[in-house]
Amino acid sequence: MSIVEATSAEATNAEATSAGAASGGARNAATAPPAIITDLYDAVTERGMSLVDVTWEQQRLHESRRWSVVELLADVDLDALTPIDRNLVWNAGRAELTTKPGADRLERQAEAECRRWQGTNPAVASIMEACGTWSRYWNEEEAHHETVFNRLADLSGMEPISDETFIAFRQVFPDDDMLRTLMLLAISEITAAVNYGQCQQVVQDPGLRRIFKQVAADEIQHRNYFISFAKALVDSGEYHAKDAFAVAHLFLREDGELQGSAREQKEDRGTHVNWWDHLDTAETDYRPEALEKKEQLICGALKKITGIEVHSRDEVEDTWLDLVGS
Amino acid sequence: MVTQGVEAYIRQKFAEYAGLTDEQLFSDDVTLAAVIGRSPKMTNSIDLMEAFARTANALRKDYGVRVRLPALPLDTSTAAVLKVFLEEFERQQEAAG
Repeated sequence: MSIVEATSAEATNAEATSAGAASGGARNAATAPPAIITDLYDAVTERGMSLVDVTWEQQRLHESRRWSVVELLADVDLDALTPIDRNLVWNAGRAELTTKPGADRLERQAEAECRRWQGTNPAVASIMEACGTWSRYWNEEEAHHETVFNRLADLSGMEPISDETFIAFRQVFPDDDMLRTLMLLAISEITAAVNYGQCQQVVQDPGLRRIFKQVAADEIQHRNYFISFAKALVDSGEYHAKDAFAVAHLFLREDGELQGSAREQKEDRGTHVNWWDHLDTAETDYRPEALEKKEQLICGALKKITGIEVHSRDEVEDTWLDLVGS
Repeated sequence: MVTQGVEAYIRQKFAEYAGLTDEQLFSDDVTLAAVIGRSPKMTNSIDLMEAFARTANALRKDYGVRVRLPALPLDTSTAAVLKVFLEEFERQQEAAG
């Protein structure tokens, strides 16, 4: 079983537990195994969960999934790493540099959206606050990913990341519609998780394989959180499903974002760095693609967020065109 | 000339969805990046994509021809986009017989 399948199964179990526990009320939920609240709008509007309750659930799950970068690095045999291993680690480290600005943007945007909705839709304001609150856990967990890969690249003699590159990759993303932002982040986590799942199958060193497995599992949890927040926005009726489909189409379409650095022409964005534009296979000629798996998982995310079932990129485009209208 | 009529139709629809005048859209080699910057309705390329999609939907509704645009870099001029739109329109129209 691949890491993505394994972590998806883990996530499914967690969702089922969450739904069952939360139906018994906020106090009972606290005694169940930690899990993501997958039906957040209902939890806030119908089941009476407060932001203190939601934050407690976030904290419990965060604590239950913690791991040590220092301990995992100690188990890697640096002398056993192949050129492909080192290239995969180097790319992962550079990609992970862009997560902090993503989390910083999410926190800032969620705060602004919370204030915007406070007077007109308190439930949406609470969802935005819950999202902004969770962004601190996401940011902290991603710090593990960034440091584990960059430290490993450094120790294994890969080309150093200059301070200029580090700062360039830290540019904060421009604001956007919140549903679109959450969908983009869900897809980014899907892409990362599938890539790391592929990496896990290629590398030989057990210590390095464990790192890729651990990081992929984290990314799947993050995907599930983004799906939960995005679904809550659609459930509220204040955000339109077309925007989730628009972002999915942006990634899945021919020559779209999923093709990343393989595209003939890259946009000069000027404002920020998208990690998928900057993967470099160097001389190894290995690229962790698995496009069908990514397409399948993106369609699955759309189903959970919007309730609309699609199975391929063509169906995503058709549905998006229908939702957009004229 | 069907194509001339369609060209005017596409220009009008795109201008409507972008919230800009025909002149603001199609004069002086305006690029797609510039359109996003000028449009009061657009934040980024997803809004641009949606304006194209709505234009394509309108074409399908009023002309019965389905046009799909490829992914276009943001330094593409609106004149070039219009050309692609028209070529796709003619190709799909011919294919439909």
